[in-house]
Amino acid sequence: MLLYILKRIVSAISVVIVTLVASFALFFLAPTDPAGVICGPRCTPTRLADIEQSLNLDEPPLEQIGSYMKGLVVGRDFTSGGVTQHCDAPCMGYSYTLGQPVTKLLKQAFPVTLSIVLGGAVVYLSVGILAGTIAAQRRGTTLDKVTVGTTLVVNSFPYFVLALLVALYATFLPQTGYHSFLDNPLLWASGLVAAWLTLGLANAAAYTRYSRASMIESLGQDFVRTARSKGVPHRRVVYRHGLRAALTPVATIFGIDLAFQLTNAIFTESIFGLPGLGMLTLRAFAQYDLPTLLGSVFVGSVALVLMNLLVDIAYTFLDPRVRLG
Amino acid sequence: MEPMIEDSGVAESAESRTETTERTPAGRQNARTRSKSPTAIALERLRRDKVAMVCATIFGLFILIAIFAPLLTTLEGQDPTTYHQDLLDDYGFPTIAPNGEHWLGIEPRLGRDLFARFVYGARPSLIVAGSVTALTTVIGVVVGLVAGFAGGWVDRVLSWCIDFVLSLPYLLFAIAVPAVLLSIFVGSAEGAPPDDVARARFFSLIIVLSFFGWANLARLIRGEVLSLREREFVAAAKVLGVPTHRVLFKELLPNLVAPIVISVSLALPQYIVTEAGLTFLGVGLTEPTPSWGVTIASAQNYYRADPLYLWLPVGAITVLVLSLSLLGDSVRDAFDPRTRR
Repeated sequence: MLLYILKRIVSAISVVIVTLVASFALFFLAPTDPAGVICGPRCTPTRLADIEQSLNLDEPPLEQIGSYMKGLVVGRDFTSGGVTQHCDAPCMGYSYTLGQPVTKLLKQAFPVTLSIVLGGAVVYLSVGILAGTIAAQRRGTTLDKVTVGTTLVVNSFPYFVLALLVALYATFLPQTGYHSFLDNPLLWASGLVAAWLTLGLANAAAYTRYSRASMIESLGQDFVRTARSKGVPHRRVVYRHGLRAALTPVATIFGIDLAFQLTNAIFTESIFGLPGLGMLTLRAFAQYDLPTLLGSVFVGSVALVLMNLLVDIAYTFLDPRVRLG
Repeated sequence: MEPMIEDSGVAESAESRTETTERTPAGRQNARTRSKSPTAIALERLRRDKVAMVCATIFGLFILIAIFAPLLTTLEGQDPTTYHQDLLDDYGFPTIAPNGEHWLGIEPRLGRDLFARFVYGARPSLIVAGSVTALTTVIGVVVGLVAGFAGGWVDRVLSWCIDFVLSLPYLLFAIAVPAVLLSIFVGSAEGAPPDDVARARFFSLIIVLSFFGWANLARLIRGEVLSLREREFVAAAKVLGVPTHRVLFKELLPNLVAPIVISVSLALPQYIVTEAGLTFLGVGLTEPTPSWGVTIASAQNYYRADPLYLWLPVGAITVLVLSLSLLGDSVRDAFDPRTRR
């Protein structure tokens, strides 16, 4: 067991390191000429050289990767126009266009994405599991068929189109926008309601299908029949005995989904105008801001790998049937 | 567990219940005269599925629109790139309603013909999604076959690659990588002619989507091969001295038709959505390519003044993706051996 967890951690770290090196190579070693872009159309050779030096672009590639890694672990110094600035430990360089540390930009953006994804999760988990449980109990009836049909259609509906239509036409929902939760929780919630509902209802379809299938399986198990024959009330059989067993596979899917949504919230963010991780990446793409692009890709990878790791480890505890050699 | 087993019942149960009486004797007769391959059986089930047939027809219609786009626009007498500035008022709004000359009216601001933009817009969606699906399927099948059959360090390396690709934040990369590819293809992004940029965007989109798409299928195929290679017919082929590539492609591949067909039919609509979505965000295809994603992005500002402008591409993409997804679900039900009753 311990060996398995160790193995998973080592493989997770290897993935993160390779991702970092590969994306660094892609962004900084490809003939992208970031200094030329920053310098703009009216560029002089001395200014170009100065910019290249301040970005460490004049160093050999291996040294560039080395100092980037060093910056991530212990921090590094940047010298620009005779002024030296220290960049603290998880240092990912400075945004080319905003002049701010990338770490700071990411710290601002991450809570926005997290709020969207977690709020949406509350909606789709509650709607999906409830609808799935009800449909599973009435398996084969018209209600069940309608539910399954609806989930099929909602599930195949293009998400960005759905979000766009909600943003344009559902004007009765409160104005969207991001406000810090710590400043004003009420404003925070009202600014995110539209995004939560869209993300939640679109994903509720998939969770209805998962929990319906899982619930049908668990209601057919012996322990449910035993509970019934003991005279346990119907409601208790379904929600205490059946649902509890049915939730394990759903929880696993949820863990993996959550990580993907953290990096895929970009449509929700850009359509509802919420300044999250995806919006940061989009802006960096438009302005050719390589350090910010690299930073957000890195944070996204780490989040994804970490969540997968957590799910795998949690699964070995949640499901006693999983035995690892 | 995927809930596919239950879903199959909805569309089929009504027909199959009425048909069982006639089908059983006919099926017995067939079995005596000639045997059917699993693929033939699956196609027969698919043909009986009304939802699947309707969806396939809609998909066929879109393909016809894409193929005959030049013909359709010639019929109308317009093309997708001419600016009809004379038909716009001072604020950029069209002064004409849809009429015989412009069947669906013209765009606000630029004045291009909407019908022509619509029919030509079917092309990039289908070409991008089609080629990405083809590429990812070929790569996924080959990698999966090799990894599963070779075993040992080959399998370990390929499996690591699969896990690696699957654990990348794919949408973030899909945004970041074209920025780099673009500068490789056309040099400085600032001065390049828009046609070159549009073409570079087109190819970088296909490359990026293909790079991230193959891993899922490869994992699936690898798993199947791991169990198939222990079967007697593979051992027999090996003993007879059949060369490895023939074992892979003549012995193993025919047994993998079902997972491959299922994966293709589910991937196609997914890539259409991804292409349109990325284009909508401004990181996919660009002007002057006529694309539904581009049109949706610019039309969202006119959703009140000119609803048709927005709803045309929105409706097209929704209908296309919905029908393809439902078709994919039916294909899965028809080909998946677990749903056979």
